[in-house]
Amino acid sequence: MPVLTLQRSYKYIMYATKQPSLRINQDDLKCTNGCGYFGNADWGGYCSKCYRNHMEQERQKRTRSTSSSSAHHHHHHSSKSQVTSFGKFEEKKRQQTDKKNKYLPVFRKTSSAKGECPKEDYINHLNVILLDSERSERQFDVRHANPDTDKLNVEFIAQFGKYGEAVRHDFFKCAQYFTTKIVHEMNLKLIDELAEMAQKCYVSYMTRINGNPHYQQVPEGVREDLLDFFEKYCMISLYTFLFCPNTTNDEEKDLTIQDRIRKLSWVNAHHLDCCISETSLEVRDLVYTAINDLLGMDSMKAPQEKLACVVKCCRSVVEVLQHCQGGPVSADEFLPALIFVVLKANPARLKSNILYVTRFCNDTRLMQGEAGYYFTNLCCAVSFIENLTAESLSMPEQEFQAYMSGEMTSVSAWESALVACEGMHQLCEHLALLKGLSERTALVQEESNALRENMKKLKEDINSQVNEILDRTPLVIKQRTMPVFLLRPQPKPKIDPNESQPKNFYLKNLQFDVSHTQKSKLQLDITPCTQDVQSDNLKISKDFLSPSKDNLSLAATPEENSYLGLSKINYDIDFSDISADNSVAEELTPEKRSNFTPDPFSPLEGSSCHITQSPLVPTTAHQIPKKDDFVLPFKQEGTKQNEETLLDKEESTSAAALPSPLKPTTSQYTGFSTQGWQIPSIPCDTGESASKNKQ
Amino acid sequence: MAMTGNNSGVRNFKIVLLGEGCVGKTSLVLRYVDDKFNNNHISTVQAAFLNKKLNIDGKRVNLAIWDTAGQEQFHALGPIYYRSSNGAILVYDITDQDSFQKVKSWVKELRKMLGADICLIIAGNKIDLEKDRNVTLEDAEEYACKVGAIHCQTSAKQNIGVEDMFMSLTTKMLDISDEKENQKSSPLSRQNSQRRNVIVVDDEITPPSKSCCGS
Repeated sequence: MPVLTLQRSYKYIMYATKQPSLRINQDDLKCTNGCGYFGNADWGGYCSKCYRNHMEQERQKRTRSTSSSSAHHHHHHSSKSQVTSFGKFEEKKRQQTDKKNKYLPVFRKTSSAKGECPKEDYINHLNVILLDSERSERQFDVRHANPDTDKLNVEFIAQFGKYGEAVRHDFFKCAQYFTTKIVHEMNLKLIDELAEMAQKCYVSYMTRINGNPHYQQVPEGVREDLLDFFEKYCMISLYTFLFCPNTTNDEEKDLTIQDRIRKLSWVNAHHLDCCISETSLEVRDLVYTAINDLLGMDSMKAPQEKLACVVKCCRSVVEVLQHCQGGPVSADEFLPALIFVVLKANPARLKSNILYVTRFCNDTRLMQGEAGYYFTNLCCAVSFIENLTAESLSMPEQEFQAYMSGEMTSVSAWESALVACEGMHQLCEHLALLKGLSERTALVQEESNALRENMKKLKEDINSQVNEILDRTPLVIKQRTMPVFLLRPQPKPKIDPNESQPKNFYLKNLQFDVSHTQKSKLQLDITPCTQDVQSDNLKISKDFLSPSKDNLSLAATPEENSYLGLSKINYDIDFSDISADNSVAEELTPEKRSNFTPDPFSPLEGSSCHITQSPLVPTTAHQIPKKDDFVLPFKQEGTKQNEETLLDKEESTSAAALPSPLKPTTSQYTGFSTQGWQIPSIPCDTGESASKNKQ
Repeated sequence: MAMTGNNSGVRNFKIVLLGEGCVGKTSLVLRYVDDKFNNNHISTVQAAFLNKKLNIDGKRVNLAIWDTAGQEQFHALGPIYYRSSNGAILVYDITDQDSFQKVKSWVKELRKMLGADICLIIAGNKIDLEKDRNVTLEDAEEYACKVGAIHCQTSAKQNIGVEDMFMSLTTKMLDISDEKENQKSSPLSRQNSQRRNVIVVDDEITPPSKSCCGS
């Protein structure tokens, strides 16, 4: 298609090392064929026409050599014959020295007519070719050569699988046809013709997507994606054949530009009038990012992936510029910066990559959009580098030459940054790393401190809670009420053996004590008994209001009572507390009558008697037989018991509207009759509990 | 061709901004796309490549505006930028005669390389500095008329004539694109003749390229 050809011709301009430049000697630009037209380094110094002739000849030679070796498709034969006829024609033409070649338009027309293939025909053609027996063989080759194919298949299904089997089938049919065709004609056609084929193929596939009923389900927006994927699929499949193909001198160009950039390594931002501040660390990091992005281009396979790398790089460059100057970045600043980045990056196979993208990337993408713009800028940068002169850096020719020959070495900040400050850069990175680590350590420290605080607080909390509970439900050891004792002489015979063997009694109680504290079942055992007792006691207290005074008087003087039934040991133990106990008891007497008469621990039965006694019994009693030591542990034991059991007991006691159930008053009471020693143990909390109960 | 129309009905036009450095290319496009003049606005990251979507008489148009580096040393890169553009805005500074000469050289080059396919706008920017004017309006308009370009006077700073300039350019590009569409849809015989015409244009371009390079 003519317009397409036109566009292609601009592409050639794009890579002309001799741009419409005004600085190079005219004679250098002339076609080496001497036809008077201007030549182009890309075309071996020929002008476009002579180059075409030259290439036709080359191709003819190739065709001749290959045609004998293998059988080709009929359509190749036709094109071959065409080529041969052209070749003759061109040979004749070449002999003419006349500048104005009157046959030239004819040649052009035919070539364009040859190139243009109506789309329907093209697709029909495509289908015919698909049936070709050679296809499967080629297909196998292509697939075999590309490990990416499977990945691409998966990707296709993930992306477009939902549009049905028909789309998939057709897609792969077309892709397969295209790749096969390209592989087939690899060695027969010039790379630019292959590029044209590829472009036509994109166009025809787009037409197919828009026209073919298979694709009806595919929405408008996705069609573009499908075309993109078509391009990607084909190009990845053909990458090894089409990237830097050995039929071209792309590789030489790569080496040339690489060498050129290396020689220009002394160029710095200052030379380019570019405002990149080379000394700023952040800017340097951003430039590194841009360079990395640009270097990444070589590792991509599909043209659009390569383009994406260019876009990424350019965006980083924009960021750099924004950092350096602020405000929107215009082309005036952008291009020099990009040139700078390209110079510093010196990307591998730069020219091959650019040419590959130019040839095989879908033209519509390359001509417009952000990617197109940035890619164009990259081409500009490369072109600028290729044609860079002293003038373009606005420095004297001599100085330029001196730099280029290495006589002068630059003291560029960037160079020093790259060489000397590479270590600095690493240092900074490590410092940053260390900083991060120390931050994390600090965090750990902080958190562990917090944890410690937490633990402390928890401990305090628990302590205070325990204390609170202790305060709320102190160990109240009530004095036994006399009436019960008076009424119930039954326990006497039971305790008698204890009396006769006091030591055994302690041991026995100890055992009880241990078992009950562990089980914390004490309460359960007690409650039924307390209830019974309650009712009994109530009666008793009412009945014996008057005699209770007698009881109290008895209680007030436990010493006397204790003498009655107590062994000497017990009596001594209680001695210290007796006075307090007695006073409290005296004070409390009225309340005791009203409130505390229902004594839960009254030893109504023999079994309950044992239980109720238990809390009072010092567990350490047997360990400390000495009189003096006995007092203290006894108290402690009592409080400890409180701690352990009170939490459970609290509710039930309140529910029963009873004074603290631990009060071993009854046991003491019973003991009082038999063992006077138990009375003195009461005093520890009686006063407190009494006042609390009042409240 | 690929630029002007596609299946979705949106026409894509590529506009390239050419002109000497510091004549206000970037300011013009920023003013147009973002309605901003002050360069200190950070919201626009870059002004090198901007898109503007328009709807003119129900036709959806997408303008891709390519800024170019105006420095003299990048002049040679022009062809890479303006290839396959639909329109070009050649900006000069009315206070700077040199910038107008530069515009003239661009016009010459564009006409040689792209022929009549490209719509040209010659924009005299900075008319807010009327007192320092060095390029007379008559000269500029006469020249624009001679080369078939539209002349505009603008001030990016005071937002004068910017919208109008882009609008007239878009309208002109639409006309050319419509013309092409019509030719495409016309019978085959005419299509062929059209193609021949294009080839002729191509041929015409080639000889001047010699003189261009030589000049």
